[in-house]
Amino acid sequence: MQRRTFLHSMALFGALGVCPSLLANSVSGSANAISVEQLPELKGELTLYLGRGEGGLYEDVLNAIKKRNPSFKLNIRRGPTAALANAIVAEAKAGVRRADLFWAVDSGAIGLVSGAGLAQSLPKDLISQLKPEFQFSNWIPVTGRIRTLPYNTERLSADKIPDNIMELPESGLSIGWAPAYASFQSFVTAMRLIAGENATADWLKRMNDKATRYAGELGVVMAVERGEVDLGLANHYYTLRLKSGKPNARVNLAFTQNDAGCLVNASGIVALKEGDLAANFIRYLLTQEVQSYLASEAYEIPLVGNVAPPKGLPTLDTISPPKVDLTKLADLRPTLSLMRKAGVL
Amino acid sequence: MNSQLTQLKSALRLFGVIAIFGSFSAFAGGPVGDHVNHLSDNLDKYTEEVNWLIKKVDGIVVRYEKSGAKEAKADAVVDHWEAVKFHAAIESNYVPVYAAIWQGLFGVKESIDNGKPMAAVRVEQHKLEQALWQALGAVKLAAQFQERGLLTKVALREGGPTNSVEALDQVKMRLDRVVAKFAEKLVKESVDIVHDTYLNLFEGVEGDLIAINADLVEDLEKDFNVTLPKAIQGKKSSVDDVRRVVDLMHGKIDIARALLTEKDKKKKDVF
Repeated sequence: MQRRTFLHSMALFGALGVCPSLLANSVSGSANAISVEQLPELKGELTLYLGRGEGGLYEDVLNAIKKRNPSFKLNIRRGPTAALANAIVAEAKAGVRRADLFWAVDSGAIGLVSGAGLAQSLPKDLISQLKPEFQFSNWIPVTGRIRTLPYNTERLSADKIPDNIMELPESGLSIGWAPAYASFQSFVTAMRLIAGENATADWLKRMNDKATRYAGELGVVMAVERGEVDLGLANHYYTLRLKSGKPNARVNLAFTQNDAGCLVNASGIVALKEGDLAANFIRYLLTQEVQSYLASEAYEIPLVGNVAPPKGLPTLDTISPPKVDLTKLADLRPTLSLMRKAGVL
Repeated sequence: MNSQLTQLKSALRLFGVIAIFGSFSAFAGGPVGDHVNHLSDNLDKYTEEVNWLIKKVDGIVVRYEKSGAKEAKADAVVDHWEAVKFHAAIESNYVPVYAAIWQGLFGVKESIDNGKPMAAVRVEQHKLEQALWQALGAVKLAAQFQERGLLTKVALREGGPTNSVEALDQVKMRLDRVVAKFAEKLVKESVDIVHDTYLNLFEGVEGDLIAINADLVEDLEKDFNVTLPKAIQGKKSSVDDVRRVVDLMHGKIDIARALLTEKDKKKKDVF
């Protein structure tokens, strides 16, 4: 078993109390985030397709934007992200465009829309606000989430956890996972893109013999905390939220290195309509205020220059996530096929 | 006085449910028909249908008494129920009674199929008739609210919740549908609704909730993933068993709703 070269302890987070707040001085990045005070007023009308997000926090952001811009009308259609992406593509094929913007909770859905040639190019000064690894010509990542290995602190010490995801099945640890969960499937897609089909199929089979299945990833984290399993596979925010409500929870986060196990995925927005209004609307999502709000309230990772991550999470420059074209995570079909063949689904 | 108070409470409770139900329309039986948005215009038709249905079921019971189970053709109770427009009117407005109707239909059918004594069959028939009249009352009340513009139009597709509280309201509605589908003997569909509700609605709320009450989330996690599916799939489970689990979940969801409503009041401003 390899000794981990990077492990993050959340002891500080636990000691500082319940409410999430921000670390002010620990991020790297490109430009400073712009304040909402510097933005032009929005005037006109847009229709946004909004993938279901984090307990209405995206809605809070949208309401705040509407309140600040009384001459701006925002029509919203809500639904599961994948269904909206399919609707946008289907509408385009039928020769209609109902959505001007699409805010998706995962980048795979963005890939589906941009792959159909529907995403408009965005202004360079807007793109350059993002950290360099999140700069794309035709979509804007809004916030990030990272794959983690939450582990039970009473059953396990950090140095017993492999820093290579491929070694997990043979680690001798009991593991919890949620294969039906969309974020897990994006992670397997990333593994397929990085390690190849054969290695991924082999990993799934080896894991399937060892892992305990849960319906969702919060369930995984809670099982880890209860000690049902030693560690689990889950997005970072479940652990941070659990620690927020239960500061003495017996769970910490570990990260693998430079593989799909520490993939940073993102929610993102794409403009389907040319023009300043759609681009200016997106500028609001990258403001200091919105990025900070989503970090502190939803525990999501800000992707703009100088905005701090949620407390309890290391900064992105101290983790070594793999380099993956996030829009390629839309290619789910081969992933699901591999998972079915391995008996995981 | 007491009776009036009870009626008023029932009405208010019903209105609460209806107001929530108006945005939901995942009907298993195909297109719902626009008549559900014009309840008052259709009340005579619904009343006629309820009377017709009661007569049809009585015919089956009478045949059973005279000629036995084979001649009674008790399977027809389901066909008769699915043939009436009233079916959609109650399904779109008050799912708890909708479930009770299915329970009553199968109560009659199974008591005949199992060769139960006439007295036992009549008991089931009486329960079904009670459920049907109760349903007609609910639809009449819904019609009044609809006329006053207090009832949300039945949507062609489900609207997405805009916050955790709305999501929990949808969770409760869907749990009622779980009972309804179970009462229709659609076990797989019933379990599918539980899983779908967990993944697409509750899962989006529990992140918010866990920061307030982790034990409550843990409890509901178990209900969604173990207790309720097990109750649905249990070989000896009855509609009442499933309803009991759902009622307990409703109570916990009400607590969650109150906690999140309180949290919303303290939420900081974005700008």
